[in-house]
Amino acid sequence: MKVVVILFMLFSLSFGSDATIEVIKKIESLPALAVEDASISYDDTFKMKFFKALVSDLNVLSLFNVERKYNTTKFDAGDVVIENKNMQYVLRYKLFEDDNGALNVELKLFKDNATVLVKNYKISANNVYMFVSHAIAYDINEFMGAPSVEWMKKKVIFSRMVDSKKSEIVISDYTLEYQHVVVKGGFNIFPKWANKQQDAFYYTSLDSTQPTLKKVDVASAKVISIISSDGMLVCSDVSDDSKKLLLTMAPKGQPDIYLYDIEAKTYKRITTYAGIDVNGQFMNDNKIAFISNRLGHPNVFSKVIDSNTVEQMVYYGNSNSSCSSHGEYLVYKARESSNAFSANTFNLHLISTKTDFIRRLTATGNNEFPRFSKDGDAILFVKNYKEQSSIGIIRLLHNKNYLFPLKYGKIQAIDW
Amino acid sequence: MRKIVLSSIVIALLVFSGCSSKKPAVDELSEQQKVVKVEEVPAVVTETVADSSASVVANTDSTETIMANLEKEMLSVYFDFDKFDIRADMKDKVSSDAQLAKGAAGNFMIKLEGNCDEWGSDEYNFALGLKRANAVKNALVAEGVEENRVTMVSYGESNQVCTDKTKECWSKNRRVDFKLLP
Repeated sequence: MKVVVILFMLFSLSFGSDATIEVIKKIESLPALAVEDASISYDDTFKMKFFKALVSDLNVLSLFNVERKYNTTKFDAGDVVIENKNMQYVLRYKLFEDDNGALNVELKLFKDNATVLVKNYKISANNVYMFVSHAIAYDINEFMGAPSVEWMKKKVIFSRMVDSKKSEIVISDYTLEYQHVVVKGGFNIFPKWANKQQDAFYYTSLDSTQPTLKKVDVASAKVISIISSDGMLVCSDVSDDSKKLLLTMAPKGQPDIYLYDIEAKTYKRITTYAGIDVNGQFMNDNKIAFISNRLGHPNVFSKVIDSNTVEQMVYYGNSNSSCSSHGEYLVYKARESSNAFSANTFNLHLISTKTDFIRRLTATGNNEFPRFSKDGDAILFVKNYKEQSSIGIIRLLHNKNYLFPLKYGKIQAIDW
Repeated sequence: MRKIVLSSIVIALLVFSGCSSKKPAVDELSEQQKVVKVEEVPAVVTETVADSSASVVANTDSTETIMANLEKEMLSVYFDFDKFDIRADMKDKVSSDAQLAKGAAGNFMIKLEGNCDEWGSDEYNFALGLKRANAVKNALVAEGVEENRVTMVSYGESNQVCTDKTKECWSKNRRVDFKLLP
């Protein structure tokens, strides 16, 4: 019997490149890793903050069974702490402040009590320590030869409602621990990174007479207006080469998807249905996915640009009102109950255009704003459950979800 | 007092005091490759500035008062869950709004603001708010209001009049409001 199970597992793994198939990994099978603090500067509060951030980042890697116990030691001590003797990996770090007030981190990774990796980091201020923690986790992941977690170093941009018709746009790290308000005052929503380098972003301003799409250059803070439309205007997606946008506009009160060419400054209408067509997403093969209510309730459809055929993508869920795509994959938000006023559950599901599988990614609460990372390795989302809002990360290959509680405010839209 | 709100974008101060560089970076020391760049972003601030013409108020004030009073008389139109067609019980409200729009408010532009309940915070909700505004616009036009006097905007779920988590509250938020523009 065991042989059959092992054979089946091998078989499943060999076809595991399809992300809609769940990969079940046992936690016991992951190597144990402990973290040792050998810091010589900073107070205990900061040291603990850094330790927690690092443990949490290492957990998100999904490569180790990370020990949460806090141990201190000397950086140059030859042996790992007694309690960590049986750990396969031990990560030891030393935080120290240099004469310029910069945060320096020295790092050693032990495997079976032998040093296998040495690294040093430096950042100009200690309030951005979480980026060092993300960088360490990224390097450990590279060292282990696991698929890249480039997204860990990417920035997240989101809009947050602060009052009725008042919002602000914030740039943060992926855990939302670091937050920097970039647009404040007014009513500005739906921020979207303009390119992979994340050196500019788009957002919709509702302060003018007509909703207007604006673009901000992050370094110079220069703002330019791109296009305006009566009714509504949202930048739903940016093409991989950053040259084309999928916009939802409603010049005549009719929300449709438009393809906007940044260089030529021209646009063309992609959808023409008389109801609602929104949330266009670029897919492979000149295709877009979008949300439409053409069957009476919101659902996910796709269309080849310049063709008239529309294909229904999802046959499950009573109301699927938002989606995000990456190549052949689509993640969408489904309302799990048909009652308009029950305690609503919204779950995220993953599908592929090449298979018929549906993989449910979340199980409880109100999960929304799914956004693929640029490399497709992870999905970022917002979870509201029992009065607590969190930002979530789904590691598709590892079948794991991680949650980071939100400090305050209701998120209006998010991108990374 | 009439104030014109000017939105101007200014570069705000860097968050890190005493930091000479705009882009603090995590630099690895010599033997390692580049690790991560933390770009510090100058904030874009939308400033609210009182226009210098704000001192010329004599006429504007009375117009504003007239507009404010008329807005109070215009009745918000409410909708069913996930629907954007005008309910039978709302038709009288729309007719009364149309009469006002053609009569006392005949000299003003009409701005219809579409709104939704909190169930859904995505683009679809904004589109739903817009379709509601559009349904009201079509009804007004059918009753003789000039089409070019009506503009629309959707606020999705971000302009709620009621924030309790009750059925009554949600239904109050699924509405189209009337605003007048000079």
